[in-house]
Amino acid sequence: MPELRTEEYQINMGPHHPSTHGVCRLLLTMDGEKVVDAVPYVGYLHRSIEKICENRTYAMCIPILDRFEYVTAMSCNYVFSLAAEKLGQVEVPERAEYLRVIMLELNRIASHLIFFGTTAMDLGALTPFLYGLRERELIMDLFEMTCGQRLTYNYIRVGGVSRDIPPEFVPKCREAIKIIASKLPDYEGILNENPIWLARMKGIGHTDPQQAIAWGVSGPVLRASGVKYDLRRDDPYSIYPKFDFDVAVCWNGDNYDRYLVRIEEIRQSLKIVSQALDGLPDGDIRAKVKAKFKPPAGEVYVRIENSRGEMGVYLVSDGSEKPLRVKTRGGSYNQLQFLPEIVRGRGYLIADIVAIFATFDVIMPEVDR
Amino acid sequence: MTQQELTAYILANYDGKLTLLDTGRAEPMFELKPDDLLEVTRRLRDDPQLKFDFLCNMGGVDTGQRLEVVYSIASTTKHLRMDFKVVLGYENPSIETITEIWPAANWYEREMYELYGIEVKNHPDMRPLLLPEDWNQGFPMRKNWDAPDFIRMPEL
Repeated sequence: MPELRTEEYQINMGPHHPSTHGVCRLLLTMDGEKVVDAVPYVGYLHRSIEKICENRTYAMCIPILDRFEYVTAMSCNYVFSLAAEKLGQVEVPERAEYLRVIMLELNRIASHLIFFGTTAMDLGALTPFLYGLRERELIMDLFEMTCGQRLTYNYIRVGGVSRDIPPEFVPKCREAIKIIASKLPDYEGILNENPIWLARMKGIGHTDPQQAIAWGVSGPVLRASGVKYDLRRDDPYSIYPKFDFDVAVCWNGDNYDRYLVRIEEIRQSLKIVSQALDGLPDGDIRAKVKAKFKPPAGEVYVRIENSRGEMGVYLVSDGSEKPLRVKTRGGSYNQLQFLPEIVRGRGYLIADIVAIFATFDVIMPEVDR
Repeated sequence: MTQQELTAYILANYDGKLTLLDTGRAEPMFELKPDDLLEVTRRLRDDPQLKFDFLCNMGGVDTGQRLEVVYSIASTTKHLRMDFKVVLGYENPSIETITEIWPAANWYEREMYELYGIEVKNHPDMRPLLLPEDWNQGFPMRKNWDAPDFIRMPEL
């Protein structure tokens, strides 16, 4: 009988794998059922948003940057507007700042609801996906009522916001907050003690805090590994210092903690939205900005806390009506380049890779741009 | 440490290797010589007063007259932030890798090479990132780049 021998082999996961929520290819090196190494191949969605922005005026950049991170398009609008306002030294009216915070936090909740639904769906549970999208629909209705769009808003503009909220917004928003808050125990009830969920979540995908910082990982993934670092508190922007909220943090750094941090962040965001609705002042919604906005020559890097970590824009102006350089930075980019570090040599199964990818909450347009 | 104190501290302690640029804004922006890059970035990371442990962002810039590489760094414990840049010419631009200081630079440097043609020396893995593997149409983020289907926006 000939001697049996074993060898490592490689398989492609993607580019069209359903769990990557976009077009990402992971080249997995396998030893039997165990994953030895994973190498991400990206760029399938590269549209060169940065080059397109260099060829557009500031106002025209905002709808293009909506497509940069479409699940939280409000943040993309906001971070670019913030950079342009810093360059042009535009003072934003207080009502506009409140409206921006309300929209940003509602968008963060919507994004975390998508995370909750799709992660459970990747692991084979369809009900949470329906739950998540059902509650997200309430938020989408609020956005549609305000700016007419449900995904790419083009709402936050340089100097303020594009239009005021309709009168029925505030009562509808309070009702939505109440409904979402009342549904969160259902979410936890359906997943927190589910044995299939726990088997793929507890103790899988452990991230070391020091290593995560060195790899530029931020947002919920970093906070789940015990680093209490939230730009809303630690590098404050807009009017966040006025609000009372906690930074959600967990200590194990595994898939389960990343899920817990996001659920807690939904609670904190609901708290912020409700405080912002209480304090919403009257007044202008937009500073006077010329139609041909030309900030003086200069350069600035601004960063905000997005639902996927630090989102930043490095903006260079040469004093003309078009930016000289727009460099966008998204949390997913660093999370995805960090992924091989926590997969390599740990003997995970392919189903564990799906769970890790899902809890990193990587969204491909943010990586490829 | 406030931003003014940070600027004063760096000007006093870094032997003139980081020179302050006048950008008229809150966060300081420094310029650095390409040869000092590794030494200064290591000191910035290990300095107990600063602890710049987080690379926020890095990327190339083509101003039309020269190429620049811009680094934005932050400290997660001291809550500081600063930017610095390295200025390069168009003739064989190249720069040392900083992946051993901040591993996060890995993909940023790969992206910078394929989009701007700024060579990164000693990089562990220099495959193309965003562009196709058989891309042969030059460095698309350069200002003088052109392609048959690339249409510039007319002047307003």
